[in-house]
Amino acid sequence: MEVRSEIPPGTLYMLILKTLARLGSMHGYGIAQHIQQSSDDVLQVEEGSLYPALQRMLIKGWVIAEWRQSENNRRARFYKLTPEGRKQLGRELREFERVMAAIGRVIQPA
Amino acid sequence: MRELWRRLQWWAHRDQFDRELEEEMRYHLALKAEERGLNAAHRQFGNMTLLKEDCRAMWTWRFWEQLGQDLRYALRMMTANKLFTAMAAISLALGIGANTAIYSFMDAIMLRALPVRHPEQLAIVNWRSKGQAEVAHDFSGSSYAADGVTTSGNFPYPAYELLREHNRVFSSLFAFEGAGRLNLVIDGQAQLAEAEYVSGSYFDGLGVNPAAGRLIGPEDDRTGAVPVVAVTYSFWQAQMGGSPNAVGKSILINGRPFTIVGVAAPKFSGLNPESPARIFIPVHEITVVDLDYFHDMAGRFSDGHSYWIRMMGRLAPGIRLTQAEAELNGIFAPWVRSTAENEKERASLPNLFLEEGGSGLDSLRREYSKPLYILMTMVGLILVIACANIANLLLSRAERRRREMAVRLSLGAGRLRIVRQLLTESVLLSLCGGLLGVLVAALGIRSLTLLLSNGNPDFTLGAELDWRVLGFAVLVALATGTLFGLAPAIQATKVDLTPALKETRASHPRSRRRFGVPFGLSHLLVVSQIAISLLLVAAAGLFIRTLANLNDVNLGFNREKVLLFNLNAAAVGYNSSAIKRLYADLQERFRSIPGVRDATLSHMPMVANWTSATGIIVPGIPAPADGLSTAVTLVGPRFFETMQIPILLGRPIDERDRQGAQMTAVVNEVFAKKFFPGVSPVERHFGFDTKEPQDVEIVGVAKTARYNSLKKEIPPVAYMSYLQAGKPRPVQWMYFELRTAGDPLALANTVRRIVHEMAPQVPVADVTTQSRVIDETITNERTFADLCTCFGVLALAMACLGLYGTMAYAVSRRTGEIGIRMALGAERRRVVWMVMRDVLVMGSIGLAIGLSAAWEATAFLKSFLFGVKPNDPLTMAGAVAILVACALLAGYGPAARAARIDPMRALRHE
Repeated sequence: MEVRSEIPPGTLYMLILKTLARLGSMHGYGIAQHIQQSSDDVLQVEEGSLYPALQRMLIKGWVIAEWRQSENNRRARFYKLTPEGRKQLGRELREFERVMAAIGRVIQPA
Repeated sequence: MRELWRRLQWWAHRDQFDRELEEEMRYHLALKAEERGLNAAHRQFGNMTLLKEDCRAMWTWRFWEQLGQDLRYALRMMTANKLFTAMAAISLALGIGANTAIYSFMDAIMLRALPVRHPEQLAIVNWRSKGQAEVAHDFSGSSYAADGVTTSGNFPYPAYELLREHNRVFSSLFAFEGAGRLNLVIDGQAQLAEAEYVSGSYFDGLGVNPAAGRLIGPEDDRTGAVPVVAVTYSFWQAQMGGSPNAVGKSILINGRPFTIVGVAAPKFSGLNPESPARIFIPVHEITVVDLDYFHDMAGRFSDGHSYWIRMMGRLAPGIRLTQAEAELNGIFAPWVRSTAENEKERASLPNLFLEEGGSGLDSLRREYSKPLYILMTMVGLILVIACANIANLLLSRAERRRREMAVRLSLGAGRLRIVRQLLTESVLLSLCGGLLGVLVAALGIRSLTLLLSNGNPDFTLGAELDWRVLGFAVLVALATGTLFGLAPAIQATKVDLTPALKETRASHPRSRRRFGVPFGLSHLLVVSQIAISLLLVAAAGLFIRTLANLNDVNLGFNREKVLLFNLNAAAVGYNSSAIKRLYADLQERFRSIPGVRDATLSHMPMVANWTSATGIIVPGIPAPADGLSTAVTLVGPRFFETMQIPILLGRPIDERDRQGAQMTAVVNEVFAKKFFPGVSPVERHFGFDTKEPQDVEIVGVAKTARYNSLKKEIPPVAYMSYLQAGKPRPVQWMYFELRTAGDPLALANTVRRIVHEMAPQVPVADVTTQSRVIDETITNERTFADLCTCFGVLALAMACLGLYGTMAYAVSRRTGEIGIRMALGAERRRVVWMVMRDVLVMGSIGLAIGLSAAWEATAFLKSFLFGVKPNDPLTMAGAVAILVACALLAGYGPAARAARIDPMRALRHE
């Protein structure tokens, strides 16, 4: 079995937001799958953090949820970005890049 | 805002939320199962319930929701265990109630500030001197001496004027002095009212506003001013119904007309909490109001040797007490030095110092602070016992709930969460106790006020349930709730899961064994309860013996059935000979009342904490440095007959001893032995050490009777006829003593009628009985004895409850074990012994600790004891015996139950 890494703390929201920005609207399982696949199975999203995070984002108004028929004809809850969520994604990305650049400067060979 | 809205919407649809979340999870799980197989999916997904909880938690205000849950659960637990709840709440209520009641008195006496503007800026001016301050030729006021240092707050008036003019540290310095009870006539009705002399800057300096009219100002406080007074709000309400017409009303004070100019703000009653004033009179009116013949009142205002006026100042902004003290001393010290006339006076010059004055004069605090601290300690200990009890109850309940806790922990409940929930239970319990405790406190305050006031209607400590006291009660309740709840809560969650879940009664893990008995936290609590109970029972024993000793004191006269009251004709303008005529006539009228066996009068009641001492010269006896002195009691004819004091030699004071005849005295045995050792003092003479020496012939010797106190040593006493009194001891008021056949107080109205007929302006004051007067001198001791007995019994009852509970629980836990023992042939006697041995071990450890603590602690009570030493072996032995008896009694119940265990039933029980 391939080695899977924990999602770095504080980046889960960003990953979910980015996924939703890319897919338009998706259910929880799909979000988790997408993150795992597009990271080449490095990042694994635990259900225990995914669903509380989604609830939190609903409260914040970054996403909205609606029940729709899924691809296999079952009822599923689909999440969709709101304009507020899009703004938040921008903020999180900027912040992430800033931090990454900073870390890069620290660890790059002198 | 929108977030709040979303949350509220969620709250409205939270059932739907649960359903939808469930569906979402199932969908997720189904997809995952398709991919990885059912088992792997479930394993990875983890605890679905927990996950749902987490999702829910995102939406709710977790803290409040859980609190609500905890409260609901706690309430259910409380109603499910009614006996437990009732027992715990009642013992807490008693503990908290007792604490709150005593605290309210502490608050009233020691902590409450005067109802004035910024009381924290006020400072009282005092002085202290080595030994007697000789420079004070004339002193009137209050001073107290301790360790050779005299302390007082009474200054010469010129010193006040000097300090007022020259200090730069006070924004205001004002003067006052208690006036005592003055004779007031309002609308023709005579009464006595406590009054205070105040300087013109008094009300302004204190920042007390008028509730009606105006208050006394500088223009009122000078010689020749129009005589005006201000009254307190309560006086205005009680005497004049709060009528606006009161301002401008004319009243008589000691027979002199005064006009009421205003009413002080509510609650203000002068600066001495011990004797709250009802009227305020400008200081300069003292010359017309005070009928004291001893002192030259007008001369007082310029006499640097006459110490009588008190001062209080308001510190100027930014000035500290120590700064002010240094500045004032810089003014006062040179001045007082200049008044000293000889070396003796220079050696004992008063030194000025300041005290915080925010609570007024501290005489009450001096008197009651120590008893209050002792009482506070006692109720504190009772609360500790109550807490220990509840901790014990909770502990045993926690033991019983081990399975429940284990199940909850294994289902994923956090330890902190369970501790929090258990704490909610105990705090809720303690708050219930606190609520009941407030009721107990309200009752306690009422009865304690009654106890302390001792029938004195003027007693106004003003202890009441205000928000500070209630706050205290709530605080104590919360603190106890946390305190006694925390340990059991932590213990309860320290469960080893697997054995606890498998657990049955028989395989119950035993506590660690020490000293051959299981010794756990609950045993420790019982031991401490026993130790504390012993302390309280021993204290109660000491106070009860003190009271018994005081009641057994041989008085030397008959205290029963004597009516006592005070008349003061001088206060309404009778002159010396008219007073004597009036009193003599009244005595005859009183003697003829049916039901009165005899009647007499004296210038002070016996055994009432009054003293009056005078220096004397006895021919042939060399006077020591501080002179010879005797106590003097002015009495009327038939004093010895009425009070039933036997005359051993010579004759009693009678009608022959009148003005103009040879001055005579009857002396007590102490006087005779001290000044005329070995010879009969009858027909011998002594003199008063006054400017014009007076020659007194001794005509009789009376059997020694208690003088002013049950406790103090009896001084030499000379009884002299009031009819012969003149300067320096003129007759003003007199106490009449009527020996009655029946209930003395039943004659009070007859007496009032007679006095009203013969002298309408003279009020009959202080109507009481000789017995009551004596009882009042031992109020502290009686209060202590009563309260400590209550406390001791309370402590004992609670400790027994604790012991019983612990043993009963231990027996029920060991039912299986005991059953096996008995099945194997153990005798019932041995089973009883097995349980009682635990009781005895805990008892003796507790008693040993308690006894050694009592040995140390009772020393603090020494000053309140009489005729018994702090470590009185008899009292200690008695206390130990009581505790042993109670412990055995409390332990026997469970032991007997253990012996009755049916082995068959106990073994099948599993």
